[in-house]
Amino acid sequence: MAFTDKDLQVMDSIINRYPRKRSAIMPLLHYAQSRDGFITSDGIETIAKKLDLETAEVSAVATFYTQYKRKPVGEYHVGVCTNTLCAVMGGDEIFAGLKDHLGIENDGVTADGKVSLEHIECNAACDFAPVVMANWEFYDNQTVQSAKDLVDSMRAGKPKAPTRGPDVLQNWKETSAVLAGINDGHANEGVQAGAPTLLGLNISKKGARG
Amino acid sequence: MSNEVVDMITVVIDGFEVSVPKGTLVIRAAEKLGIQIPRFCDHPLLDPVGACRQCLVDIEINGRAFPKPQASCTIPVEPGMIVKTQLTSAVAKKAQEGVMEMLLINHPLDCPVCDKGGECPLQNQAMSNGQSDSRFEGTKRTFEKPIHISSQVLLDRERCVLCARCTRFSEQIASDPFITLNERGALQQVGIYEKQPFESYFSGNTVQICPVGALTGASYRFRARPFDLVSTPSACEHCASGCSLRTDVRRGKTLRRLAGDDAEVNEEWNCDKGRWAFKYVTAADRLTHPMVRNASGELQEASWPEAIAAAAAGLQKTSAAVLVGGRASVEDAYGYSKFARVTLGTNNIDFRSRISTAEERDFIASTVVRAKTTYRDIDRADSVLLVGFEPEEESPIVFLRIHKQVRKRALKVTAIASKLSIGNEKLSANFVCVAPGSEATALPSVALTAQSVILVGERACESAGLLSAIAALAEKTGAKLAWIPRRAGERGAIAAGAIGNLLPGGRPVADASARVDVAAAWGVTSIPSSLGLSSDEIIAAVNKGTIGALVVGGVDPLDGENHHEMLEALQKAFVVSLEIRPSAVTTLADVVLPVAAVTEKSGSFLDWEGRSRNFEAAVVDSLQRSDVRLLSMIADEMSKPISLSTVKAASKEFASLGNWDGAPSALSLTSVQTVSALQANEALLTSWRRLLDEGSLQQGEENLAGTARKPVVVISPKRAASIGVTDGEAVRVSNSHGAIVLPVLVEAIHDDAVWLPRNSRGSHLLATFGVASGAVVTVVKD
Repeated sequence: MAFTDKDLQVMDSIINRYPRKRSAIMPLLHYAQSRDGFITSDGIETIAKKLDLETAEVSAVATFYTQYKRKPVGEYHVGVCTNTLCAVMGGDEIFAGLKDHLGIENDGVTADGKVSLEHIECNAACDFAPVVMANWEFYDNQTVQSAKDLVDSMRAGKPKAPTRGPDVLQNWKETSAVLAGINDGHANEGVQAGAPTLLGLNISKKGARG
Repeated sequence: MSNEVVDMITVVIDGFEVSVPKGTLVIRAAEKLGIQIPRFCDHPLLDPVGACRQCLVDIEINGRAFPKPQASCTIPVEPGMIVKTQLTSAVAKKAQEGVMEMLLINHPLDCPVCDKGGECPLQNQAMSNGQSDSRFEGTKRTFEKPIHISSQVLLDRERCVLCARCTRFSEQIASDPFITLNERGALQQVGIYEKQPFESYFSGNTVQICPVGALTGASYRFRARPFDLVSTPSACEHCASGCSLRTDVRRGKTLRRLAGDDAEVNEEWNCDKGRWAFKYVTAADRLTHPMVRNASGELQEASWPEAIAAAAAGLQKTSAAVLVGGRASVEDAYGYSKFARVTLGTNNIDFRSRISTAEERDFIASTVVRAKTTYRDIDRADSVLLVGFEPEEESPIVFLRIHKQVRKRALKVTAIASKLSIGNEKLSANFVCVAPGSEATALPSVALTAQSVILVGERACESAGLLSAIAALAEKTGAKLAWIPRRAGERGAIAAGAIGNLLPGGRPVADASARVDVAAAWGVTSIPSSLGLSSDEIIAAVNKGTIGALVVGGVDPLDGENHHEMLEALQKAFVVSLEIRPSAVTTLADVVLPVAAVTEKSGSFLDWEGRSRNFEAAVVDSLQRSDVRLLSMIADEMSKPISLSTVKAASKEFASLGNWDGAPSALSLTSVQTVSALQANEALLTSWRRLLDEGSLQQGEENLAGTARKPVVVISPKRAASIGVTDGEAVRVSNSHGAIVLPVLVEAIHDDAVWLPRNSRGSHLLATFGVASGAVVTVVKD
């Protein structure tokens, strides 16, 4: 999909936030992803031109970060943490269960294009293990069944809300736009630091008081 | 340089004290002691990166030890620093062995078929600093191999140790970041963007500095083992940058050329033309035997005595002139110069086998012979002014030197030109956009000091009045001036007196004492006193019948604006051609004498600075002879000897003549021409030769040709709108002689101008238009 004049204007407004153009590379990649669903050649070439970079430099960044996809993903991209803690707390079973339930492998997309699956590295939410993410929003303390229910709700077009973060789950392109720095109005919704996260802090505070 | 105050720091490495300038890296300080710390990513001309981790050492500063071994290539020395390398620290030794074991995990054991085998830093250091065994028992990671990252450079990713030398070179030195580190983790790899090949003029340097066999050149791949090659230090014959090279020969055949190491000139780099354009030497059509035109008008192979006698007889009969071309070595040019004066008795000699003017000849005699500007002056300049000169295309090492200072200290570069070039964009140059022919009008607006450097190219003569205006500007401001020709032999030809107004050593022909000087040295009674004709005048004189014979060496008639006249002259005159391959000249010549190419002979060039660049014969058993030896034989035959039977003799005699210490000739001011008004669809032509183009010395190397910039017609947005074209559409540029159709590129160029490459595929301006700059052409949508 070629970028519209309006898209190019948005890109310019993102670039204008930075003292040096090239600093805008990451939000622009997210923005390109919000328009095309993934990083296309058109996206890389447009960004390179906008930032006075070579296409190889843009491509280097786009291939380094796993949040940028070089092929289409589902409307809802589901990531299951399979690093040590989440894995032993049930992450491995959840990942296996979802693969079986959706009939796809790692990095696969369901035929209806609704859900894609990826095993992901630690999301710094071990206190809520096992954790599943959808479009980079948190679904804490998951079970095989709750994860299956979650992807079913996505395929039915009514995705469950994240357990932390915004009140609604945005689709992949909408989330990419948020990551590009475009406010969707959901920024301040939901719990920021949940009880398990604060547990240790509260104990230490009590202890300090004696 | 010596009076600069440098803070010295003393450190202890492996128990030895060493004092080094502040800022020196630990790995360099160790080198000073002769202690070699193994390394891959470290390169003295690239920024430190600490990517490979091979150079780990133990360091303590004032009694406080680093908790872990540190990369000695990223840490500068500090007072009180004690360093223990692998030689004295078991921890450092074990750390290095560990890193080496890790680097070798995925490295293939293909050394026996790898081009780098035998000269490979990984192979060598695995032997010197690694262990004989690996604990790795898994399956090595493999990649599809090799991949072409350009038509010339191949990448075997599984050999790569991710040192990032190539990517850093491309970004920091060449400013062509077309290769980058892509992907991450175990899949991290060097790569290009799929639609933008690694088409950098300097890509070959990455092959040379790759510490493993990951990057290889297509033309050398699988051709030889390094230990079968005989290496000879040489000088590059392509441009006036003056690169020191190394020529590697196997069984009489040049297999590769590498950049030589010369801190004053090319540092450790060269351009891809200098590296890869040498196949012309082994072209199948090389001239191997003398030829003489027989009674029926056909060129026929002849013996040397026959050919020399035929040449002498023809030259004796009539008045003769010499066209030597800009590619002769100093010794050969000196031979032509002496041959013209002593044997032919004329000053009618000109090395300028290209567009040239009388103004330029005066400028050469008055200004170029005195110029002492060097690369060091660029290093120290407060600003650089470029006029009629595109360093990246026309003298690439000058470009790298300017770029180095732009990157290091934001050196101010101003370019007066009609089109903003890729090179000048990379130099962040202040582009002063003028109509072709109006360059001189922009000079007064440029602020210069005695610390500034003005670099003017050979194309400046194409704009009337420009050279004299530049000389006046340099005089007024005290700025250092350098004239940078495109061909390697031009500065040497000036010094050798291969031009009508100068004798060897910059002696003016017009000066009686200079003539007496040279006559005495040559043992002749006198030197002709009348000013010699220029190339164009010589050609005109032949066609008028006042000159009857020509000695032509290394000249392509299509390099000038008057090739029809030149071909006519070659037909009319008795022509002795000294050439390495058949050309338009040899086809029309009466006697053809094959001569040696640079790799087959010894000699020297003078680079743009006037610095001597010596080279020895790399192909020692070549039967080809340097031009000067043949000229000496002809002169003997004509009983007017020049007594230069060897290159060494020519070199010695030329050196003994020394430089003229009398007054140089004065430069008279040439007035600037006014440009005529243009009709709609008309534009003024502007052009230059691209570094990689259809030049005859680049023939036979298709891999290199594949990396050339694609030919385009460049016009301004205003003109594009008026003729209704956008990028990529075909545009037709024409004059009364011919037309060229190429895709258009809409870019920063003067609204009155149209730019085309001068001698690229499908764009041979001199052959098609008979002109290359300043002339009016019609530009329409095709």
